[in-house]
Amino acid sequence: MEQSSFDRRKFLGGTAGAVGGAALLAACGSPASNTTPSASVSRPAVAAESGNLSILEWGGYEAAGTKAQTAGMTVAGADYTTKYGTSGLTYTYITNDDQGLQKATSSGPFDIMHPCHENIKDYVDRGLVQPWDPELLASFGDLNPYLVKQGQVDGKQYMIPWDWGYASLTYRTDHVDAADATGWDLLWNPKYKGKVSMWNGASSAFEVAALVLGYPDMDNLTADQISAAKAKLIEQKPNNKFYWDSEYSQMQPAVKSGTVWVAYSWQDTLVSMKSANVPVAFMNPTQGRLSWFCGFMLGAKTENYYHAHDYVESFINEAACVQMTNAYAYGTSNTKVTPDKVTDQALATSLGLGDPHALEGASVHLQSWQANKAAVELAWQEVKSA
Amino acid sequence: MAISTKVTAQRSPGPGRFRPGRGSLAIPPLLFVLVLLLGPIIFIGLFSVGLRSNIPGASVAFTSTNWHDFLFSAGNPFRKRFAYSMEVALAVSILTTIAAFPLAYFLSFVARKHRYTYLLLLLAPFFTSFLLRVIAWQIMLNDNGVVNWLVQAIGLQPHGDPVKWLIYSNFSVGLVLFYSWVPFVALPIFAVLENMDHKLLEAASDLGASRLATFLRVTLPLSLPGVIAGFVFVLIPTTGEFITPLFVGGPNNQLFGNSIQSFFSDSPDWNYGSVLAVTLVAIVLLLMLVFGRYLNTDLRAAPSGGDK
Repeated sequence: MEQSSFDRRKFLGGTAGAVGGAALLAACGSPASNTTPSASVSRPAVAAESGNLSILEWGGYEAAGTKAQTAGMTVAGADYTTKYGTSGLTYTYITNDDQGLQKATSSGPFDIMHPCHENIKDYVDRGLVQPWDPELLASFGDLNPYLVKQGQVDGKQYMIPWDWGYASLTYRTDHVDAADATGWDLLWNPKYKGKVSMWNGASSAFEVAALVLGYPDMDNLTADQISAAKAKLIEQKPNNKFYWDSEYSQMQPAVKSGTVWVAYSWQDTLVSMKSANVPVAFMNPTQGRLSWFCGFMLGAKTENYYHAHDYVESFINEAACVQMTNAYAYGTSNTKVTPDKVTDQALATSLGLGDPHALEGASVHLQSWQANKAAVELAWQEVKSA
Repeated sequence: MAISTKVTAQRSPGPGRFRPGRGSLAIPPLLFVLVLLLGPIIFIGLFSVGLRSNIPGASVAFTSTNWHDFLFSAGNPFRKRFAYSMEVALAVSILTTIAAFPLAYFLSFVARKHRYTYLLLLLAPFFTSFLLRVIAWQIMLNDNGVVNWLVQAIGLQPHGDPVKWLIYSNFSVGLVLFYSWVPFVALPIFAVLENMDHKLLEAASDLGASRLATFLRVTLPLSLPGVIAGFVFVLIPTTGEFITPLFVGGPNNQLFGNSIQSFFSDSPDWNYGSVLAVTLVAIVLLLMLVFGRYLNTDLRAAPSGGDK
């Protein structure tokens, strides 16, 4: 293993040198000794790449310095934009995981994508991505080994994990009785009819229904369980004011204004509501929270292999991750972000920020790849059309 | 190659030779329609029977499962959504046409001198994008919107208790669709009324008909081509509408167009969505066939019979 990566590094250095005109060719390892497919492909050096990165992203995660970056992330991505400028970066946005996969398949090709754990297999199976070369990422060694392992397929590092968090219900403590806010059942409570908003995310909706119905294997539902979950979600449907798509332009303003009192959300909503002095809580349901982690995947057809690695390094380094955690209250994959680096200590404790084992507990259901995804997808469309 | 042959043929016309008449001018638009309209419909058709897939590496084979499910399975939600959408489209078209008639009548018969100024005012909102206008309605109708603020300020509704059916309801979807289409329906009716022979009205009056009788027996029948054209102008686009319910409709007020949009944007599988899309195209074609003959009426000319 050690030997193989040594060869790969030498080979890549040699390729870059040859293109750049340096006389390193003699030191280059024999290409025949390379076993990893990523290394056997000859690539232009970083200087020969256009640097035009097309990135499939969730809003708010744009690199520092770009016009699109409005949430004040001044560190994440800054190393990259300082070095290469911002003009080469183009963002395409997604609002849910299925849409991300859909766009990656139909409207790409993208150089970098930001899917979550549950979709890694789909991206690989569809040939949309190629493995990263961890040797090109200076901070790779700092990343949480548990997440790193989960980002591998056939031993290759297809996903560089970056952000993780929980999904639960955010509710207005000034309108919702604390006694009602104990579990995911709150979404079904007729008392809050028209004041609830579920996320338009197929697998998440079915995972919530599975937790409420008591199906422990929420990502491996049988056909009968899917149809029971579908009926349960149709039962919940009239309670919704709307199914939300955009976190920032739909869900958060609705919670802020009181249009909606209970919303499926991630923990960053807690932070934005607190800064707006809106009294909310992020529920710890009796059935457990959902949890997720996402990361960067490298486009199979990228012509900016080295730029893409530099870009990702500028997000996974310690300084970027510390800011990310403090800005959104999300966890990150960088283990150097210890709890003492989180500004809000109460938040760090309640959400397990900086705890490398936060996602390994039994009560945090890690959203994973679903074998019956197609059936779940169709069932969700049926719920929405019912 | 083909073009040069035609040019030669045109230069030396002779008996039995191909002479491209003025009809050849229709070839570019015809090609446009074939390639950009018919082509995609054929592709969607192939998707709907499983002969194509948007998922790379997925096996493709003919299957009618999705069609069978949509057409025959008991209580299919998409079929129900389709029926519901047709009802909404029909209701909106009828109400819009009824509302647009007095508007056109006013422009044509009452506001005679300033009618084009008024017409411009009527069309003024359409200088901004449709999407922006729908979002503007969202701001008006929201729980904290302009309308709710007003009804609470003047005491029609207790403070902190907004009127809930104003938005994310059938009402809001209907209202915004109605608002969007009224000017479009008024236009063809206005065009017909403008070109009506006003001497007929004088004749009716001379013969002792009351104003109501004149309207019912002369104006209304003569304006029917415009009324039907206006009705169809609303009905056909509304059957596929999805923007309005997306922004001002709640989970229960989404239309068939939203089901299609959702299949193509959020779901990894286009095949079922294609079944719905083909259905919509078929229905629109059917409506065109039924109403087409009215649309062919030249709105500027007096209806046949008037000249005799």
